[in-house]
Amino acid sequence: MNETKKWALHRVSAIILAPLFFWVYFSLILLSTKNYQEAIYFFENLVFRILIIALFFIAFFHAKISLNEIFEDYIHNKKIKDVANILALILCIIIPLIILILFIYII
Amino acid sequence: MTENQNPLSPHLQIYRWHISSLLSIAHRIAGVVNLFSLILIFFWLIFLSLGEGNYELFLLAINSFVGKFILIGFTWSMSFHTLSGIRHLFWDIGYGFEIKTANISGIIVIISSFILTIIFWLLGRGLI
Repeated sequence: MNETKKWALHRVSAIILAPLFFWVYFSLILLSTKNYQEAIYFFENLVFRILIIALFFIAFFHAKISLNEIFEDYIHNKKIKDVANILALILCIIIPLIILILFIYII
Repeated sequence: MTENQNPLSPHLQIYRWHISSLLSIAHRIAGVVNLFSLILIFFWLIFLSLGEGNYELFLLAINSFVGKFILIGFTWSMSFHTLSGIRHLFWDIGYGFEIKTANISGIIVIISSFILTIIFWLLGRGLI
């Protein structure tokens, strides 16, 4: 992916994330006062399920591009930077995937 | 291999603080904090999938003093990063570069992030 495309996708993901983040935080604060049954009931809503899965995929995509930029700025040893980038990539793929599996098979 | 000779990133400690530089680094730090908050949400959902007993334990932790402190901190970090991000997006389409405008929008971002956090908590916890 070239830098211009990365830059554009970073902005597009930011625009999508802004409303999603407001929604998820409000929901979490709400859920922190509810019990297990109510939380399960909350996630029975298909729209909410899709929104939270989307949030994870888009947020970790956004985070991946951002982390690359931060590593580029602050890590000066190329080898360490490469390793950091690979670890970030693994983290940003695995977590959304686990969330997807969680919502398909368990919750 | 020769050492990279590119100039280093700003040495934050030796610069005089401006509202723009403060917001710039705070935007980054809040972004990284948001990554941790996503990881907390990840564990929130993991605990939900582990069944009632485990989830009740998680709720106990999140509703403890430290838990609330962390959650309020994360809410602020999210509000700040999102609002500051909107400010960045306006710059990207070419608005708000004048020093005065940038300073004002910066102050608005800081104040609004606190107001938003308070509103979220009052509404979410059913206090208003």
